[in-house]
Amino acid sequence: MGVQGVQGVQEVQGVQKGQGTPGPGSSPARSSFAGAARIFDLSLGELIWSRRTIFMALIVGAPVLLATIARIVQASGVAPLRVNGQGVDPASIFGMIIWVLFLRFIVPVLGVFYGTSLIADEVDDKTITYLFTRPLRRGAVLLGKYLAYLACTTLVVLPSVMIVYFMLVPLRDVARTFPALLTDLGLLSIGIAAYGAVFTMVGAWMKRPLVVGLVFTFGWEQFAMLMPGYLRRFTLAHYLQALVPHAMPADESVTSLLQSVFSESPSAPLSLFVLITITVLSLAWAMRIVERKEYVLEQ
Amino acid sequence: MIVTTEHLSKWYGQVSGLNDVTVAVPPGITGLLGPNGAGKSTFMKLITGQLKPSKGAVHVLGEPIWGNPALYQRIGFCPEQDAFYERMTGIDWVTALVRLNGLSQDAARAAAERALTAVDLMEAANKKIGAYSKGMRQRVKMAQAIVHEPDLLILDEPLTGMDPIMRRRTIRQIKDWARAGKSIIVSSHILHEVEAMTSNILLINNGRILAEGNVHQIRDLIDTHPHTVFIRVADPRALARTLLVEDGVISMRFEPGALVVETARPDAFYARVTQMAASGEVGVIDEVTSPDDNLQAVFQYLVKQ
Repeated sequence: MGVQGVQGVQEVQGVQKGQGTPGPGSSPARSSFAGAARIFDLSLGELIWSRRTIFMALIVGAPVLLATIARIVQASGVAPLRVNGQGVDPASIFGMIIWVLFLRFIVPVLGVFYGTSLIADEVDDKTITYLFTRPLRRGAVLLGKYLAYLACTTLVVLPSVMIVYFMLVPLRDVARTFPALLTDLGLLSIGIAAYGAVFTMVGAWMKRPLVVGLVFTFGWEQFAMLMPGYLRRFTLAHYLQALVPHAMPADESVTSLLQSVFSESPSAPLSLFVLITITVLSLAWAMRIVERKEYVLEQ
Repeated sequence: MIVTTEHLSKWYGQVSGLNDVTVAVPPGITGLLGPNGAGKSTFMKLITGQLKPSKGAVHVLGEPIWGNPALYQRIGFCPEQDAFYERMTGIDWVTALVRLNGLSQDAARAAAERALTAVDLMEAANKKIGAYSKGMRQRVKMAQAIVHEPDLLILDEPLTGMDPIMRRRTIRQIKDWARAGKSIIVSSHILHEVEAMTSNILLINNGRILAEGNVHQIRDLIDTHPHTVFIRVADPRALARTLLVEDGVISMRFEPGALVVETARPDAFYARVTQMAASGEVGVIDEVTSPDDNLQAVFQYLVKQ
């Protein structure tokens, strides 16, 4: 006896045209921004208490440790750092830390690790279902998670920069250098936003986003920045570099070296425009991808 | 009809998940029954808009579901996977999710409390989900599905991991929701669970709906096949001693913290286990599950005929 022969069980004949039911209307459709704000609320706590935050604290702690050591050395009366016989003032050391450690390492690394995981973690943890079966656009889910990333990383990175600054720069120089610090904080925020947006897009688009992100950051950007010509225009670091406000170490050879690097930088307004454009376009592209993509959870 | 599909197919690359399914699901409770890998999850994901059809169309409550988030205001979905934000408490999690439906914080909190009360979880509402038992995790998933009072509930293996008493209570609750006018689609690989809720079933196997209609004749077929039941219990030996004298028990074997019983009379057996769980005569029964081999065997039998 087959299924067909089972009494009381009917073969599926085809679609019975249903009565249909009225469309939704019991509550207004949520706007993308309102939905994103609610996803932000939900995601911020998850991000702050995730294992990645420990990782972030460790890498952000490294410059603080360096600054602490420099402060101890300075307080112990040891001769200040000299380059070719000339002293390097603390503000310049701070500037180098901002450029070398924060902008070229910490900000891209945070962008890669957080940006690529915003959707991928929810997929891996299989919690994406709860977000994608609620009445808000998938793009709003992504936007809310991106904003949570922005808040989480900014709240950790910027205080770290402040600590490094006050460790390194003598109080007598604070009034003179404080505007540059504010510019640094703004610059870092722009970097966090730009790298985060690009890698959020990569995370939404590609299957192995972390590998792609690391190759881009530590392969492509490093290579392109060293090469003369136009290649560096295809990096984020090129535009961030143009915004760095610091007086560099006073030594002429160091200055000339840095100037040779910086001399091909675009103007600050152009860099700002390019970075904001990249951020907005990357986010818009990521939202479009998420709206259209299927996420098949492994059983 | 609450759900209609027309020539619905879904492929994962070269693999077919669902194959040319045309079906209309009426209001009320409908059971989606099939063994593991039959296509139940694919069907559930298609009717909840998580997957886009490779071919054909899906309409839920009269509207296409893919790319139509507003429709989720009227749908509650309890997924199969045991996945949560483990650090959140039950009440915070359900509140956060229903806020995504547009409720204010206060209204969301009140709705979450009502939903957790409905699934008997209010006492543990302030515990972290990571500390919940499997049954409690199932119930908090149910709570997030009902919290916005949807017209249609889609429940993917909702009774998995529940103890017999909670299982019975949940079945009663699902029937109450149906009586209150909600439509419910519930998937399971255990016929007896589905039968306890509804007689209207969709039989699915190998990505196709084999049949739809009344469950009772299928049940008779299953009753002629030995049925394996896995019981996690505090004292498996005491349970085994009690079951030795029961009619229909074909064999028993011990596993760590559990007893696996093969029975020829599953209906009577499930009723007896529920009775034992309620009376506590063999200690606490934590979990009763049925491997889907039971249903697979019956499907193989049906297909061969």
